[in-house]
Amino acid sequence: MSKIKVDKKSWLISQSELETWLDGIADVRTLIAPRQVSGIMLYRPVAKSNEISWKGITTGSAYAVRPVLSVKEIFFPPTERLFTIQKTGQEIHLKETYPDWETVVFGVRPCDARGAKLLDSLFLDTNPVDSFYARRRGNTTLIGLACKELGPSCFCTSVGGSPNDAHDVDIMLYETNGGYLAEAVTEKGRFLIPGGEWKETTVSPQPSTQTGQFPVPDKGKWPEIFNDDYWVKISERCLSCRACAYVCPTCRCFAVRDEVLGPGQFERIRCWDACAGENYRRVAGGHKPRAEKGERLRNRFYCKFYYYPEQYGLGTASACTGCGRCIDVCPVGVDITEVLMDLEKPT
Amino acid sequence: MNENPMLPYLGKLVEVRDLATEIKLFRVEMLNGGGEAFRTFQPGQFAFVSAFGLGEAPFGIANASGRGPSVDFAVARLGSVTTGLHELGEGDTVGVRGPLGNWFPMKQFKGKNLIVLGGGIGGAPLRPVIQHVLDHRADYGTLTILWAARHPSLLVFTDEYDEWRAAPDTDLHLTVDSPDEKWDHNVGLITQLLEKLSPSPENTVTITCGPPIMIHFVTKMLQEKMGFAPKTNYVTLEARMHCGMGKCGRCNLGEKLVCVNGPVFNMEEVGELLETFL
Repeated sequence: MSKIKVDKKSWLISQSELETWLDGIADVRTLIAPRQVSGIMLYRPVAKSNEISWKGITTGSAYAVRPVLSVKEIFFPPTERLFTIQKTGQEIHLKETYPDWETVVFGVRPCDARGAKLLDSLFLDTNPVDSFYARRRGNTTLIGLACKELGPSCFCTSVGGSPNDAHDVDIMLYETNGGYLAEAVTEKGRFLIPGGEWKETTVSPQPSTQTGQFPVPDKGKWPEIFNDDYWVKISERCLSCRACAYVCPTCRCFAVRDEVLGPGQFERIRCWDACAGENYRRVAGGHKPRAEKGERLRNRFYCKFYYYPEQYGLGTASACTGCGRCIDVCPVGVDITEVLMDLEKPT
Repeated sequence: MNENPMLPYLGKLVEVRDLATEIKLFRVEMLNGGGEAFRTFQPGQFAFVSAFGLGEAPFGIANASGRGPSVDFAVARLGSVTTGLHELGEGDTVGVRGPLGNWFPMKQFKGKNLIVLGGGIGGAPLRPVIQHVLDHRADYGTLTILWAARHPSLLVFTDEYDEWRAAPDTDLHLTVDSPDEKWDHNVGLITQLLEKLSPSPENTVTITCGPPIMIHFVTKMLQEKMGFAPKTNYVTLEARMHCGMGKCGRCNLGEKLVCVNGPVFNMEEVGELLETFL
């Protein structure tokens, strides 16, 4: 799947050259990278490259692992302030606050980068532009790290991705024997490359040989199976805990609310929310559409494979990047790959 | 629109009055940039109203754009935001974000007979339709209003019934589920009143807003008993949206979003959705 153009510049660098480069970036910008936090790996700011979870992301072990939460949280944080509110008698004063930093994210997996691209179609490409997302996204450079192979719950190759897909990052790094092949994918990425210090190469990254594992139902199939009682059966064990949505690189539902900061002072925030929640769709009169768990779990699958692609013009692509996080996190073993395969079985 | 589309315009409450039990009318005069944003709006559009410190919620705009520079909202006291709004009075500041959503195609309705069916506070987003027709009376055929509530104390805009009745070719029919001793109009569900009137579908469109169950049975009766084509039955749907701009994802009905593809739909469009609004 990797369509790497030959005119792109590439360099061969060692681990220590990589670390020196990242240390230099961290001196002048916020560097975010996979880091161990209380025993789990997350994309978090690092002051030095030695804080990066190198063991977690490079393939010394059997397979490379990805952080528990996707890069979504960098552009679309779990909680974000939209503005502050000052109340003085009958008067109201609103103050806008915007994030103001330049960030480089290192170690981004192709599935996560594609997740960000898919969120762009909603937050950037559909009017009105989401000014918060736009600022964070615009001020961020993504340094990708190709996966050598798929992890146990990964299935990017079944949903149009590839473990070394460089389309959606600014710079892509591929592990080589004893070092990395670095490739500038975008102008923004090229800008970060230290000129002259790195050894340029004409070596091109090898396209991934891993292909699709299973077929995903095509668009036409989804309306046909909407009322199938499969959704009732599969949701029987669903806890409506919403964990699948929070770890998903493309789930983007949010709630907006006001919080108290102090006397007469408030903030309006938005925070992640998810369609699995029982009261998610409750309306003013108490009427509660999608009251059944099966209807809510169904909505999640339809959003990924039918609604979102329809609403935001993805063509035949789906809004699932195959990262497999929802499989890892589900406490009751609802497995998206099993569901997709079940749907393809003749009834 | 502001660069930050989630930032509301400020508005001053110039009038707050009781419309019905636990339902108030809020008349807002927009301040600063809001005046320009709300210079014109269309019947059926909605906006978010903020009770600052408590949050914001979407409401159908309750007046026609031509009726003065203010924007009206009818608010039933139900949750924290609406309770916060009910505690505000004249001179207080609210936030208004909009106008949002699509609208009733009033231009397409020209020359047609209109039947407006409102249930409870569902009458609020229909008031701009009624006002628009009264303000351009010659452009439309007959206007028949079926106005319903559970109890007489829950009927909205009672002080405007005389204006509606006095307009040429305009009829108002009232019904309540449970009457009080002074009630001398129809008793029963709006569908019973509709069945009694049994309107002809000829050159006629209907516009309905109310609880989902009422919309369901009203449009079913119009189609099955009176022979209306689904595309002549317009409805406006409610969803607990949080952004109103197609971002927050909360209001989808199948592949459509109530906020940007609606809130106004005809029943042919509703029928094509994967998901039901019930």
